[in-house]
Amino acid sequence: MHSDETSREAAQAKFRRTLIQVLIVQVVALALLGFLQLHYNR
Amino acid sequence: MHPINWVIVAVYLVYVVVDGIRKSKDTDTISGYFTANRSLSWWVVGLSVMATQLSAITMIGTPGQGATDGIRFVQLYFGLPLAMVILGVTLVPLLHGSGVYTAYEYLERRFDPKTRSLTAFLFLLSRGMSVGTIMAAPAVVFSAIFGVPLLWSVAVIGVPTVAYTMVGGVQAVAWADVKQMVLIVVALVAIMLVLLVQMPVNPDEALRIAGATGRLRAFDFSFTVNEQYTFWSGVIGGTFLMLSYFGTDQSQVQRYLAARSVDQAKSSLLMSAYWKIPLQALVLLVGVGIFVYYQFVRPPLLYNPAQEVAVVAERGAAYEALQASYGEAFALREAAARSVADAGGGAAAASAMETFRAREADVQALRTEALAMAEEVTGADSNDVNYVTLAFVLRELPIGLAGLFIAGVIAAAMSSIAAELNALATTSVIDLYRRWLRPEATDAHYLAVSRGATVLWGIFACVVATYAATLGSLIEVVNRFGSFFYGSILGVFLLAMVPRAGGWGAFLGLIAGMTVVGFVNFGTDVAYLWQNVIGAVVVVAVGVAVGGGQGRTVTPEAG
Repeated sequence: MHSDETSREAAQAKFRRTLIQVLIVQVVALALLGFLQLHYNR
Repeated sequence: MHPINWVIVAVYLVYVVVDGIRKSKDTDTISGYFTANRSLSWWVVGLSVMATQLSAITMIGTPGQGATDGIRFVQLYFGLPLAMVILGVTLVPLLHGSGVYTAYEYLERRFDPKTRSLTAFLFLLSRGMSVGTIMAAPAVVFSAIFGVPLLWSVAVIGVPTVAYTMVGGVQAVAWADVKQMVLIVVALVAIMLVLLVQMPVNPDEALRIAGATGRLRAFDFSFTVNEQYTFWSGVIGGTFLMLSYFGTDQSQVQRYLAARSVDQAKSSLLMSAYWKIPLQALVLLVGVGIFVYYQFVRPPLLYNPAQEVAVVAERGAAYEALQASYGEAFALREAAARSVADAGGGAAAASAMETFRAREADVQALRTEALAMAEEVTGADSNDVNYVTLAFVLRELPIGLAGLFIAGVIAAAMSSIAAELNALATTSVIDLYRRWLRPEATDAHYLAVSRGATVLWGIFACVVATYAATLGSLIEVVNRFGSFFYGSILGVFLLAMVPRAGGWGAFLGLIAGMTVVGFVNFGTDVAYLWQNVIGAVVVVAVGVAVGGGQGRTVTPEAG
């Protein structure tokens, strides 16, 4: 029971970490696209 | 095409079938055949999900769209990461935890048999048709480029795919997807590197030339429901489309039902959330690169060689005159493009861009004239956006890399088609055959029927592909077809999370949702991405209003 709870908490922590990484990658990708539009699109 | 390129394609085709059949172990039960006994790791499922979503249309049509229209198409995917996160905390635990084979099976547990059967039927109808168009996209292009009958192209893609899907079930499909995804990424990186090496101007100058024609406009913040690709339609409509596709479409749901646990299933979806926008932007930028490259190397007037042959045969003199004008217009545009590259900033740059845009418009006017001529001569749609990429690959890529790219396109087609065939067979057998015709048969019987269903759906897809040749921009056709049902089916799954909603509410809501979407689709100019939102909202509203639920939802098992 205790180990179930521990592994679930570990999985949730991993999910949160991955979510933050996903967010960072999207922000970087959108920022690069925004840069291309602002700097080059005339 | 050079024989070495053909050898690469042939080796890939043989390998994918042999390897798929080798992966058929443990498929002697329907649990093994349909869900790989829930044994797959998150990264196998994640790559399989991505390969399934990345079709041949993405490989050849999307760069073509980047070349002709720029990168604004990327906005369609802005809702995808959010959709993946929402699914990770809602539908994935619900479906995986319920131990079902199909998404629709869950609806019977939550609502009733009629809701399950109707959604399963709608899936079979829409996906049965769309798998044909997914196969047709590369088959039509290969047929025109290599001058082989369409049936041959369809057979080269369809027969190996049906073979390994039929023998190995979801396990063979998922592992083939992993290898196909690697091949697709290698092919895309190869074409990107070739573009960078062979580009006559440096990357900064290339981007200035692309930007001068508006091809680097990734964001459109205008709020117009009639415009297909805007920031808002991508974030709102795109979220609903992706929720629907990844959360309720059996071809995707079946991937993560095969994951070892709910957590592994969630992680597999986050892989798509991670990579989809960067990958899609890369594919579109490849197209933009091809556009810039063709400012300095004269491209064909018509990219579809089959149509060009027909035009030359029937209107030889007129086409030759058009080619001469095209040559002159190209030379002027090339000079203007060089001026943009050399101009740097300031007033000189603005003037150079103005001239370049005018020269580009002249070239496009001649292309429009040639396309109209092709349409008159052949009687078929002359939109050649799906031919741009392969024309570049076959003319400019070194020997070996061209074969690799063609193999990548076939891999992309196969991975999507295999997933669809597997899902169509699963839904046919589990939701219709086992549910209504033979509820008490043995596993061996269901397995044999499942293999037969895979073959029948494969034949059906090949027939549809053979007759889908006259479809226009295949990218939008596939997405639009799904939109007729997608939003409404998503609405039913959303309703499943509302305790107040019951079977009649879900059933009537689904019918109301599809009716409203039908009216919107035929009677207004509302862009198809918004139709997903409308369908889902109508289903939930009607379902809640009708009610009839007993305050229950199906609780997933732990894990």
